[in-house]
Amino acid sequence: MVDRVSRLACVRVEAFVAAALERCEPGLREHPLAVVTGAPPATRVVEANTRARAEGVRAGLTDAEAVVRCPTLVRRPASAEAEAAARHALLEACLSVSPRIEDAGPGLVHVDLDGLGQLFRDDAEIGRRLRRQAKAVGLEARVGIAGSRAAAGVAARVGPPVHTLAPGTEGAALAAVPLATLEWPAALPATFVRWGLATLGDLAALPRHGVGARLGRAGLVAHDLATGVDRTPFRTWTPPPFWEEAQGLDWEILTVPALVPVLERVLGRLCTRLVAAHLLIDVLQVRLALVSGGHHARSVALAAPLGEAAPIVALLALEIEAHPPPAAVTGVALSARVIPRRAAPGGLWHPPVPAPRDLATVLTRLTLLVGSANVGTPVVVDSHRPDDYTLGPFDGADLVPDAAAGADGDSAGERAARGSAGPIALRRLRPPRPVEVETRDGRPTRVRDTSGLDVVVETCAGPWRLSGHWWDTHAWAHDEWDVALSDHTIWRLSHDRLTDTWFLTALYD
Amino acid sequence: MTELVGPLSSGRTSVLTLCLRAVTRRGAFAALVDVDHAFDPGSAAAAGVELSRVLWVRGEGRRHDALKAVDLLARCPGFALVALDVGESPPRVPLDAAFRLRQAARRSGVALLVIGARRVVGGAAALSVQTRRDRLAWVGPGPMPRRLAGMRTGLHVVRKQGAPWPVAETECLWWTA
Repeated sequence: MVDRVSRLACVRVEAFVAAALERCEPGLREHPLAVVTGAPPATRVVEANTRARAEGVRAGLTDAEAVVRCPTLVRRPASAEAEAAARHALLEACLSVSPRIEDAGPGLVHVDLDGLGQLFRDDAEIGRRLRRQAKAVGLEARVGIAGSRAAAGVAARVGPPVHTLAPGTEGAALAAVPLATLEWPAALPATFVRWGLATLGDLAALPRHGVGARLGRAGLVAHDLATGVDRTPFRTWTPPPFWEEAQGLDWEILTVPALVPVLERVLGRLCTRLVAAHLLIDVLQVRLALVSGGHHARSVALAAPLGEAAPIVALLALEIEAHPPPAAVTGVALSARVIPRRAAPGGLWHPPVPAPRDLATVLTRLTLLVGSANVGTPVVVDSHRPDDYTLGPFDGADLVPDAAAGADGDSAGERAARGSAGPIALRRLRPPRPVEVETRDGRPTRVRDTSGLDVVVETCAGPWRLSGHWWDTHAWAHDEWDVALSDHTIWRLSHDRLTDTWFLTALYD
Repeated sequence: MTELVGPLSSGRTSVLTLCLRAVTRRGAFAALVDVDHAFDPGSAAAAGVELSRVLWVRGEGRRHDALKAVDLLARCPGFALVALDVGESPPRVPLDAAFRLRQAARRSGVALLVIGARRVVGGAAALSVQTRRDRLAWVGPGPMPRRLAGMRTGLHVVRKQGAPWPVAETECLWWTA
């Protein structure tokens, strides 16, 4: 028996399959809803929401039977994507309250409350917080809090929406719960009736090994539930590296303008989750399910990480317009690669920084104008090779003024004291310009090329010998010279020792 | 809007690097629209520029796209400096476009710096500075120096808004190699 934690919460969403669809289409909450599966005439109800259950709609009914019981019944096909997205959303909502949670199944999460007492006043406040977080991601949850997962699970099924069982009272509270209010495997309810059991207390009073001998594993699980004992380890759930949200459609979408509202809804849900987790989208992948059975996938790398849906939807629409799907769309799935949101700048004396929304818009337009490969932040590569650099993303999350700004060890004042404003800047020629060079005693004396350049080297300094990657096929070896030419320019001249060719690589300016 | 013009090896890129350094070292952000893809991150980093605070837009020789990029950046409040390096073949900038650019920068609170071989924005620039190389220093014995030691650049104000013409203001900067 594992009982390492003192207080546990069980977060439970009733009729989870229906709740997942209601999360995708909030308007369905106002109607009796049945989730159906199977092709007509074998269509059967899988699950029904509260309104539909009040009208007598139950799982297992045929489509026709359900409509007869509830003429206003709205039917939707089961969506595995929506269910998976809702399951992840519930887990992430709970993760925002406690770092230790367990995925106990669809719509069921166990939360370890150990240590949360310093953040919250009491267990009831934690329960209300869990409910609020679940509601923020579009799910109505009930919360039970007790000393074990089993007891908390029972508490989440009966009583008020936030049902707290005080320490030491779990046994008495569970004993009064009628067996009929809980869900059991198919054969058990009849057996309980035959044995004359009415409450969990009656079941808990039976010897465990005897129940197990007669009812097998299902009986043992039922007995543990009745006694409120956990016999399995707490398997901590960690969030997946990719954040996903999806929605299946029971209609076909042919045009991008018609697809945009669906993208807005799906992305809105994803952004809500990311905001709760203090994350921003860096790369977004959209996967469109097609009526032909295939998929159409596109990826959008954002020039600046964003957490707002509106500008990303515009980018997605542009991307899909540029690369339209080959067939009608029947489902949308979004997957985001995320980065942590940084603290916002707020110092009164800090210099202003671009607003993330303005910056994202400008970067997007710049990307469209000059291409994504030509916009970014220069990053010098740690290498001996001259002009070795990459272009990294201009990270909007980094838009925080540096508190140590101005604390420059080699300050302008010190440079001024030395009489120098700084080093001479270089202007690179990309690619390097090949030239013919005359030499005397190994030193360049004249430079000419095919475009008409023909100048005398007035002064030169060097060579500086550089080489690298001699251990593989990308070996390079240069001799570099600084040369002042007769046209009053100063160049960095490079002699490739492997090919015996000369290049002008940079200009001192 | 400031314009910085001068021939090759006169020190105008070093002045640009000095501006980028001043802006990024105080925690602000700068953007550089580089028409000829000539910016050298290595020498800029050596000069003290915080490269992570520089947005580099490479025009790959497309001068009109570079002007559009500057127009976009000038309308984005939050950048302390937007620099346009038009290189050796500056584009023709219509005067009305130059004044619109100046107005956009003024509304956004962005300092615009245009550097090139010759003046391109004319009267729209509040300050025009010409760079000239005054001196070049080598170190080493005899006629064969061992290394380039430094360079001195003279900055001559050729136009200053509100000042009578000709403007006689000169300053010198010494750069080390």
